[in-house]
Amino acid sequence: MSGTTAAAVRRVPRWLSLPPLVAIAVLLVYPTVFVVAASFTRTTLARPLQEWTGFANLTSALQTEAFAGSLVRTVVFAVSAAVIATVLGTAVALLLRARGGGFGVLGTLLLLPLVTPPVMVGVAWKLLLAPAGGALTSTISSLVGSPANPLGSSTTALGTLVLIHVWQWTPLVVLLVFAALLGVPDELLEAAALDGAGALRTFTAVTWPVVAPTVLSVLFLELVVGLKVFDLVAVVTSGGPGLSTVVASFEVFRTGLRGDYDVGTAAAMTLVLGLIVGVVTAGVSALRARAARAEA
Amino acid sequence: MTPVSQPSAPSRSSTPAEPQPDALLRSEGLPEPQPGAQLRVSTTTSAAELEQLRRARPRGPHRRSPLAQVGVRLALVLVAVVALAPVAFLVSLSVRSTDDVLTGSWLPGSLDELAWGNWSAAFRTIPLAHMLANSWLVALGSALVTAVVAVPGAYVTARAGKRGARLGAALLAGYCAPPVVAVLPLFFLLKEVGLTNSVVGLALVNGLANAPVAVWLLDSFVRRVPVELEEAAWLDGLSVAGGLRRIVLPLIAPGLVAALLVCTFLAYGEFLFAVSFAQTTASQPLTVGLSLFQGDRTVQFGQQAAAALVGVVPVYVLAVVAQRWLVGGLSQGALK
Repeated sequence: MSGTTAAAVRRVPRWLSLPPLVAIAVLLVYPTVFVVAASFTRTTLARPLQEWTGFANLTSALQTEAFAGSLVRTVVFAVSAAVIATVLGTAVALLLRARGGGFGVLGTLLLLPLVTPPVMVGVAWKLLLAPAGGALTSTISSLVGSPANPLGSSTTALGTLVLIHVWQWTPLVVLLVFAALLGVPDELLEAAALDGAGALRTFTAVTWPVVAPTVLSVLFLELVVGLKVFDLVAVVTSGGPGLSTVVASFEVFRTGLRGDYDVGTAAAMTLVLGLIVGVVTAGVSALRARAARAEA
Repeated sequence: MTPVSQPSAPSRSSTPAEPQPDALLRSEGLPEPQPGAQLRVSTTTSAAELEQLRRARPRGPHRRSPLAQVGVRLALVLVAVVALAPVAFLVSLSVRSTDDVLTGSWLPGSLDELAWGNWSAAFRTIPLAHMLANSWLVALGSALVTAVVAVPGAYVTARAGKRGARLGAALLAGYCAPPVVAVLPLFFLLKEVGLTNSVVGLALVNGLANAPVAVWLLDSFVRRVPVELEEAAWLDGLSVAGGLRRIVLPLIAPGLVAALLVCTFLAYGEFLFAVSFAQTTASQPLTVGLSLFQGDRTVQFGQQAAAALVGVVPVYVLAVVAQRWLVGGLSQGALK
């Protein structure tokens, strides 16, 4: 790595930071201030921040039947999707490495789910899983011998959304972990083989230590992506059946920008959601940093 | 079986995440650095390595039983089928009548009665052409905004020591926050400046929102530019900003292409901001248009599939054409 000298650091002019600071101000600082202010005032779409109302908005948010559940669903969704995608993606990357060669045609195919806009992903899977006419539902139905409708039941709908999300986001794991696997020195693998190590032993002793930091980074990335989920829910289930797939982002949206346009309550929900996401990501991020230090 | 002792590719470095002198060789097929940059340096080592690896070692590095190889291949074929099935089903749906679709089969019942009319009907059911234009305007406009923010941003995070690290942390926080946190505040901000129901407003918001991703991807590309090159330019009287433009920018071009492609795709597919800030048909991008199909009582399978494909196919073409940059940029930029 080309060393950046202290003199060079001093020479970087401050105004170069201005464009990214504007982005941070518009997307992080201003929204945070606004959300806090709107949480404690009466706010409508026509006139924001009218008068101080204390904790009325927060109370209303926490008393909303759907909201507490939506927070739990968001965390469950993000954690399960991140874990499944990371495990599956790492497995596929290992398969690719075992096959030998580069990405090839499969790499090209795997790019497609990744670049498909989530709305289109939702449309495709909603059609695949339509109770009448969905090819996947009719295939599952003939396999299990009774009519299947995974999106129509409140016990399976959220899990189905998780799998759709996993379909879209596993390829990123494959891509990044495979690139890291190319960094495992062949000499080590050959030495391990000569020493009579089996596939599992080679993986735990040689491969894993090299790719572990990448796998953890990818897990973190997938967690962040999962916590943002909105599009799939909006397109595929609109939160139903019942409230079974209402995630936090969707709850904020439908409270503040649909229905009664209850902006104050939506702002209070946003505040709670922001705090939870902040705590979760900061916690995981700290764990990751500790793991990285332990490696070094 | 390929013998174990086969020599590995000549310039393959053992750790792609770490730049080495020979890894900075230019690989073919990448764009020429702009005139002015005399060193032929490329930073898409990973893409180049993938290519070299594919050529040099078609069989894999280790001896495996033929049975295991067959198992590995079968599993990968299964992965490919799962990756492709939903898109393939869209293609199938787009040329079938509703009656045919309701049989629940994956493929058209008869090749003689394909319902090509779905495609033109989709353009009538929603203003598809207009919305597609909006989507691309938002995507390309936002990529421009992202570039203006991310190039100096990545330079600061890579070169400005502690100050850069602080900026990087703030940008990461901005990326981790769910976009819904910004929706209500930005709605009022855009309303205040008259940019709701506006393609320009969406391009601005998306451009700023994607900047952290681009900075994150570009950072490692900037770090690989030898600082000595810049120092030489400074001695010749160039300012730091001048050096960024004349020396660094041409050298990080492959990374910039990758980062802006990723951000173009992100903005093109963005939905939450679009559905919140664009209430008029004139300003709505395709993602919103597609969600409007949902309101119908009878599911228009064929039309919906055709409309989704109209939106997705250009992205696929772009992704496949630019695969080399995308894979190189993602795998190198995201791994630190």
